Amino acid sequence: MRKLYLTLILLLSLSFVANAQRAKSVILVYLDGGPAQTDTFDPKPAAGRNYTGNYKGTVKSNVEGIELGEKMTQLATMADKYTLVRGLTHGSNAHETGHYAMITGDTSGGAVVYPSFGAVISYMKRDTYKGILPCYISVTGANSRFNEGGFLGNEYKSFDTGGRPETKVYEVEGLVNKFISRERMDSRMALLNGFESMPMDKEKIDSLRGVNMEFIWGESRECFNLANEPDSVRQRYGKNRLGQSCLVARKLVEAGVPFINVRTTGWDTHKKHFQKMDAMLPNLDRALSALIADLDARGLLDSTIVLCGGEFGRSPKVLWEAPWNGGRAHFGAAFSYLVAGGGFQGGKVLGKTDKTGEKVIERPVAPCDLIGTVYLLMGIDPYGTLPHVSEGNLPILPSLLNEKKSHGLLYEIIDVKKPDYEK
Amino acid sequence: MRKIWVFIACLLLPAMQAIASEKCRDEIFLRRAYLTVTGALPQAKSCVQFLDSRDPDKREALLDTLLESDLAIKYMQMHWGDILRIKSEFPSNLWPNGVQAYNRWIYEQLLNNVPYNKMVRDLLLSEGSNFRSPAANFYRGFQKRSAKNFYANINLLFLGNRNCTDNGHICFSQIKFKSTKEWKEEIIYLDYHKAAPWEQITLSDGTTFGLSEDSDWREAYVNWLTSPQNRRFAEVMVNRMWYWVFGKGIVNEPDDWREDNLPSDPELLKQLTDYFIDSNYDMRALMKKILLSDKFNSKTAPEGEYEPQRLPAEVIIDAISSSLGSWSTYSSRVPEPFTYYPPATRATHLGDATVSSTELELFGKVSRDVSLESQRNNAITSRQLLYLMNSSELEQRIRKSSFIKWIGENSKGIPHLASTITLRTLSRRATKQEIALYREHMEKNNLSMMELAIDIMWTQLNSNEFLYNH
Repeated sequence: MRKLYLTLILLLSLSFVANAQRAKSVILVYLDGGPAQTDTFDPKPAAGRNYTGNYKGTVKSNVEGIELGEKMTQLATMADKYTLVRGLTHGSNAHETGHYAMITGDTSGGAVVYPSFGAVISYMKRDTYKGILPCYISVTGANSRFNEGGFLGNEYKSFDTGGRPETKVYEVEGLVNKFISRERMDSRMALLNGFESMPMDKEKIDSLRGVNMEFIWGESRECFNLANEPDSVRQRYGKNRLGQSCLVARKLVEAGVPFINVRTTGWDTHKKHFQKMDAMLPNLDRALSALIADLDARGLLDSTIVLCGGEFGRSPKVLWEAPWNGGRAHFGAAFSYLVAGGGFQGGKVLGKTDKTGEKVIERPVAPCDLIGTVYLLMGIDPYGTLPHVSEGNLPILPSLLNEKKSHGLLYEIIDVKKPDYEK
Repeated sequence: MRKIWVFIACLLLPAMQAIASEKCRDEIFLRRAYLTVTGALPQAKSCVQFLDSRDPDKREALLDTLLESDLAIKYMQMHWGDILRIKSEFPSNLWPNGVQAYNRWIYEQLLNNVPYNKMVRDLLLSEGSNFRSPAANFYRGFQKRSAKNFYANINLLFLGNRNCTDNGHICFSQIKFKSTKEWKEEIIYLDYHKAAPWEQITLSDGTTFGLSEDSDWREAYVNWLTSPQNRRFAEVMVNRMWYWVFGKGIVNEPDDWREDNLPSDPELLKQLTDYFIDSNYDMRALMKKILLSDKFNSKTAPEGEYEPQRLPAEVIIDAISSSLGSWSTYSSRVPEPFTYYPPATRATHLGDATVSSTELELFGKVSRDVSLESQRNNAITSRQLLYLMNSSELEQRIRKSSFIKWIGENSKGIPHLASTITLRTLSRRATKQEIALYREHMEKNNLSMMELAIDIMWTQLNSNEFLYNH
């Protein structure tokens, strides 16, 4: 009887997951180093100068009751498009473990290394995704603090573009090589064909080289070509690394790429925090608002999840003392993510921190809850399994099965109703 | 009618065998021996020396020199590092200091050619600080610290057994860990107060023994494991060595010995095992024996018996670097403070799976999460070829290579240019047809000598002759 019941649940969950899919692509704008949530998505203007530092003000958004940090002026005009998740918490204050938690949804210290959620999506879409571009792309490189292929292996890791999208020629590793024209490449290929006489895997290699030639000189090249974008569009995103990377991400979404990681560094501001934020926050505000607005205008926001955050937040309390002289430390107890599109609703705030922002007092969210929700919206069962070479099938998100580690998927802010059997 | 065919086949067979068993050419042997034993390409001058030598025993002499070289010992250390899962982070958490001590210990075993049975014995009976008694990292490196997990891995590593059902794990149940004030140091010790089990230990072959208090229970097991009567222990190492040389075991997978997974050539396995035990588990002698076999000296398949293998990731990356004369730099990003390796460190010598590069991972460097040989994937992929065909990184390295600059400026014509490059990359001289091909390419595309040198290097690095051991 129990067996029948379990089978029934399984069937129900399969059809539920299939129907829950809203998104085709995910863009993760990853602020590597840990951005300050109290200066961006969860301001605490009443906490006093020891907390607000130089940023005493806030900016009212176009949604009643939602305020952002004073530098987030563009994002404030479009709060109806995204939700702020203010209750994120994992308690880890080290880059390695914080990053591991936010990228895998697992907690570190276990016997196996989990793959990043980009790698998992790449693995899950391996049969259905037919695009010529890789399934998982990092603009311009992934974080290298752990092997993010995890136990799935390197095959599902991100394709790192390298290069500098903000410059005249964006050199994409293996694809755009400024030294080599089509003509030169053709002549080299002719030389190689004449040279090669050994039989090892010859047919296979020849065929793969043919695929590569199509990849190099075909449509995929255009996906990375920013020169053909109108200058007004490039300006709107901001002519800097982050802005142009976000523009590349939009083009990759148009090409159907399922997972794009836009990684931007420099957020680990222990010292001179406010001077650095004065320069960095306007760029973030411009890039992220341009991305969301552009996706929306092209009708792509409904099928594209945009996430923005880092491995943890920064201490709400400013370290005025030497040697920090106005810095913010690592902070994993309470921080924020911005989520938009692909089934995530807009105009909402989920969760709440206390008056200084140091503690989550309403609706805490664990990394596995956020990532599990992304899986669900991508049509992947967050309670499903992944194959491990020696351990058999392992849960895709082990923490989600543990009541102490999970606070539940984010049904409050998505267009999918919590199924009855889960209640 | 069928009889006639059988008759013809019988007549032809000896002739065909004679052709098949014919030895490969010197230049093939040279490259094959270097790549198999040292994981490195021979230097151009070693190639010339060997190819021009008239000594009839030059192949054996070459093997003797190679087997004792530092490169060979460090390459063997990489094989051991893979199966012992040596890495500083996730999931082993040995940290760079432990990794360094552990690697040094393995290096010394291989340098002194310590008999295999003694090396395994010292590894399994290790105790003490993982910094000061490096072999103790064998136990320190397990994330799952249970006697059952130690025992399952010992079975996998030394008996090729993926599924052990006997109760030998009890012999490892005294092992305890104690941390010290030294960061990341741990003491591995035995709990002698643990009450001896009432049950007898019964091992897979029926051997039984009891355990008593005040003794190291591991010893009884290790005595059984490493004794010459336990042929499986020797067979597994013989087969593993065969696998390291040919990429396919006599029993394959090399770590999956089952009653329904039989050796493809039982007689060969028996002979080699007898030889290994009689030589007192001499690993270097075993390697030499395999390298002197007809199979290793045979022509490349399909003409001969030697099956070509795509080179392992580290070997390809090192071969590119040595061909260009420019080396990658490596550092360990976990944990802080970062560890930086000296310039020109070979990828085969890194010793820590946490230390890597995009290129190494692209070609399938293993993450050392499990002790299975199959974790290394040497299949050729389109992304690997894409890197070779069109990466700006590689293009820049070719263009900035001091060797290419030198030969581009100083070559005495196309034949000299071609042979100098080919000796570095493919360990042979250029053929007449190839020289004609290069000349045509140069004229047709109106290239300078420098640009021709760049295109020849590009072509050879892309060729399957370069990417495979053949």
